[in-house]
Amino acid sequence: MVTTEPIIRCHSLEKHYERGGEPVRVLESIDIDIARGEFVALMGPSGSGKTTLLNLFAGIDTPSGGSLVVDGHDIATLSRAALAHWRSRSVGYIFQLYHLVPVLTAYENVELPLFLHGLSGAQRHARVAEALEAVQIADRYSHYPRQLSGGQEQRVAIARAIVGNPSLLLADEPTGDLDRAAATGVMDLLARLHRERGQTIVMVTHDPHTAERAQRIIHLEKGRLVEPLGAAR
Amino acid sequence: MSDSSFTPIPLFYAARNIGRSPLRLVLTASGAALVVFLVVGAMASVRALDAGVRASGTLGNVMIVGAGSEESVERSEIPASAPGVLAASIKGIRTTAGAVYISPELHTPLPLYREGDPAPEGSARSLALVRGVEPAAFLVHPQARLAAGRIPEVGADEVAVGRSLAATLRIADGDVERNGDRPRVLIDEHPHTVTGIIDAPGVAIDGEAWMPITDLLVLTKRQTISAAIVSLDGAELGDVEAFAARRSDLEVAAIDERAYYEQLAQFFRPVRLLIALSAFVVSVGAMFGGLNALDASFASRSREIAMLQVLGFSRTAVIGSLMQESVLAVATGALPAVLLARLVLDGVGVRFSMGIFSLSVDATCVASGLGAGLMLGLVGCLPPAIRCLRSSIPVALKADLV
Repeated sequence: MVTTEPIIRCHSLEKHYERGGEPVRVLESIDIDIARGEFVALMGPSGSGKTTLLNLFAGIDTPSGGSLVVDGHDIATLSRAALAHWRSRSVGYIFQLYHLVPVLTAYENVELPLFLHGLSGAQRHARVAEALEAVQIADRYSHYPRQLSGGQEQRVAIARAIVGNPSLLLADEPTGDLDRAAATGVMDLLARLHRERGQTIVMVTHDPHTAERAQRIIHLEKGRLVEPLGAAR
Repeated sequence: MSDSSFTPIPLFYAARNIGRSPLRLVLTASGAALVVFLVVGAMASVRALDAGVRASGTLGNVMIVGAGSEESVERSEIPASAPGVLAASIKGIRTTAGAVYISPELHTPLPLYREGDPAPEGSARSLALVRGVEPAAFLVHPQARLAAGRIPEVGADEVAVGRSLAATLRIADGDVERNGDRPRVLIDEHPHTVTGIIDAPGVAIDGEAWMPITDLLVLTKRQTISAAIVSLDGAELGDVEAFAARRSDLEVAAIDERAYYEQLAQFFRPVRLLIALSAFVVSVGAMFGGLNALDASFASRSREIAMLQVLGFSRTAVIGSLMQESVLAVATGALPAVLLARLVLDGVGVRFSMGIFSLSVDATCVASGLGAGLMLGLVGCLPPAIRCLRSSIPVALKADLV
């Protein structure tokens, strides 16, 4: 369910780095509003700045200019500790390479972020069970990552991202390391989360087939928006 | 709602991580074990040496030594008649049932090893302090007690040995309590029968051999003795000093026995420092080996460490978890090392200079070893942990991506 209230609002957003004394402009004059409950794909070639933009939305990188308000928080003004605290409550992040902890079981990997929520053991158990059920991997809860396929690992990673009921789900090339069948399964899962839970999802991808599953596609090239806001379907 | 800035990463994360690479764990634990074992060993040696020397003096005892030899009783020479002259000249010397507490003594380091054993290479390694005494020695040295066998008889080439020395000679109580076939030792290549074992825990006597002073005078072809130890009861050090000054013909000086051993302890201070320094140098090598493994362990997980921050764990929480992991890894080596040190080193006699000191792995030594391990775990993990956290999260997330 898409509402008109934007969960992400950025205006004249810029990101620069310095490399060898020379400024490198990664993002320039980005103006985007993403509504609560929307499923958006960020597309563009390598080096276009799409992952950098996603990292700015997650508060793991800071803007060089412009303004960025996510879920009511002005990202540029928050301290590192405040950003970490906000992220633990509001953001779920899905990585291309899953980044599961290899020495923890699927259950423990999903449980890990819940320690930041001050929940009791029973509350954590209920949340983990629900998340594993939602990604249809509950029967693998005691498996270690090495005992899972790539698609199953990504499902566990998605369960870890949604277990805290974040208002914003960010996915960086979530199918980039998967074969076609597994990628389809993961995209079906994200689409279902969006449809059934009204989850806001921003997904980086370079695959047009994957991007088509989103409601809206935003194109980036050389750090700039190359296509104005518009619904994909 | 808790503030994630102060929410620690659960302990099971650190506990599981120590088993992630068995080889690295073995390297870290081995390095830690070596450091802890050396620290415990060095502490036990230093404390045994220090305590053994300091405890050898007795309150109220005065030593009569040769004038000018106040710093070393082994170098001292006084006339054999001096103890008798002293007894006749001073009132206030302790007596019990007619026995006067004056012990004429001859202290000399001599090669000593068990008969039948190969002669040790290098005479310094087999030197033991041999003390020529009379029965009154047990009166003025209350720390010494005949624990087994009997006192050596005059003219019979007999000797009693301290408990630590007996242990290094592999002589047990039962061996000296037999009437025949007692163990024999070679003192300066002359065979002597061991008739008794003296218990003097924690003092230098525990590593000495005692034999009748007349026999030792003959053995060493000396006519002078080293010292006379006198226990005062009413008289004071000043009285004995006055005696020494008055009888200039004897060429003796009076010193407080406790002050003498205190001064000896100061003399051994550089040796104690050397022991500590040696342990430190070897420990540093072992420590770097362990830290290198720890460094590799953390560096290979920079993406995972970044992921934890993406989840919302603060840098403080991450460093705390890495410290837990480091301390746990170090503990897997430190705890067995302390146990091993306790089993292997406790009670071992260490031959040093003119004596043998018995090592005691006591609570202080154990605490020092565990403290060193804890510091190694806490401080040692900081450089690699900080290095891992220095990169920004986006950079760290792509650290190993090609």
